[in-house]
Amino acid sequence: MSDVSPRTVLWKNLWTDNPIFVQILGICSTLAVTNNLANTLIMTVAVIFVTGLTNVTVSVMKSLIPRKVRMIVQTLIIAFYVILVDIVLRAYLPEISKALGPYVGLIITNCIIMGRAEAFAQANPPAIALWDGLTSGAGYMGVLVIVAVIRELLGSGSLLGFRIFGQNFIPWTIMVMPPSAFFLLGGLIWVAKTIMLRKEAE
Amino acid sequence: MTKDSFLYVVVFTFLVAFVFVFLIALVDEATSERVLLNRERATAEAFLNAVGIPLEGDVRELYKSSFGQPNSDGIVTTTVDGRRVVARQFTGNGLWGAVSGVLALDPEENMIVGLDIISHSETPGLGGRIEEDWFKEQFRGELIPPDGLRVMKGEGGMDMDQGNGMVDGVTGASLTSAAMETIVNDEIDMLMKGADDE
Repeated sequence: MSDVSPRTVLWKNLWTDNPIFVQILGICSTLAVTNNLANTLIMTVAVIFVTGLTNVTVSVMKSLIPRKVRMIVQTLIIAFYVILVDIVLRAYLPEISKALGPYVGLIITNCIIMGRAEAFAQANPPAIALWDGLTSGAGYMGVLVIVAVIRELLGSGSLLGFRIFGQNFIPWTIMVMPPSAFFLLGGLIWVAKTIMLRKEAE
Repeated sequence: MTKDSFLYVVVFTFLVAFVFVFLIALVDEATSERVLLNRERATAEAFLNAVGIPLEGDVRELYKSSFGQPNSDGIVTTTVDGRRVVARQFTGNGLWGAVSGVLALDPEENMIVGLDIISHSETPGLGGRIEEDWFKEQFRGELIPPDGLRVMKGEGGMDMDQGNGMVDGVTGASLTSAAMETIVNDEIDMLMKGADDE
C-alpha cells in the first residue's frame, strides 16, 4: 500500500478504484436488488456495516491469523456479521426482512467484502481499515442507488413506493427484470470510464 | 509454538469458530421470542385481512376473539355481518417456491370473501406483485363459477366485475398468475369440502 491517508482511501473507493466501476466486484447483487430503491438502500447499508466491521475485525486479528487459514477465517468473520444483520432485521424490521428475503444471506458472497479484507485490512491498522471498509461500501452504494433510481422510476413509475408518473404511464417491464441492470451498469461504466480517461489525458 | 505450526492452526481455527458461533447463538436466542411473535402477528393479520376485519389493537388478541379453534383440516369459522365465513392458511407451489397465504370463503353464497398473501418467493416487481393490494382486492366478493376461477390476461389494472369468475393476472408474470389460479382453486375445493363436513 503506497498512500493510506483517509482522503486518498475515500477518493479511491468512491471513484478511481470504485469496487463496481473499476474492480467489477459485487455485480450479482447489483443485478438482483436494484429494481426497487427501498430494498437497495437497506441492502447497501447492510453491506457498508458488514465491510466496515469485517475490516476492523480482520485488522485487529491479523497478527494472530495463520496464513494457511487466512481466507477461511475472513469468510467466518463475514458470515458472522451477515447473520447478525439477518437476525436483527428479522426481529426488529420484519417487513424489510420479508422484502429482502434471501438477498441478505447473499451478502456473504459479496466479493467486495472479501476483497477489502484481503487487500486492505490484512496490511493496515484497524482505524484506517474501518474507514476503508465504510468507504468501499459507500462506493458500492452510490452505484447501486443510481441504477435503482432509474429502474424503479421506469419499471414501476415510482420512487420509494411513491407514484411519480401518472396512471397513464406504462411501466417498462424490462426494467424490473435483471437484464436491464446489465444494460444500465454497462452504460454507467462506459460514462465513468470516459470521464476517467479524459481526466488522465489532461 | 509458531504461528504456522499444525497445532496452532487447529487450535486457532477451532477457537475462532467457537467464539463467533457462540455469539451468534446468543443473539439468536435473545431475539427468538420476537421473531416468533412477528410470525404469529403476520399470520393473524393475514386472516383478519382476508376476512375483512379492520386491524386495530393487538392483532393476535383480535384474531383469537374473531375466529374459533381451527378444526382438523385447519379451517377456522367466523361470522361477518351474520354470514358464516370459513378461512384457512394455505401453502401452494408458485413459480419459484412456496406461496403461503389465507383464503376466506362464504360457502352459502358460493363467494370468495378475501385473499391475503403471507409469504412467497416470486420475482420482485413481477410475480411478486401478487402481494399488492390491487391483485388481492380483485378476489373480494368474487362469485365462484362451477368450473373454477380464472386468473388471466384482462383489460389491465383490476377486474372489479365480481360475477364473471375472472381476475386479472400480473403482466409479465403469466406463470405466477397460472400458479395462483391453481392454488386458489385447489383451496376453494378444500374449503368447500371442509365447510360441508361441519
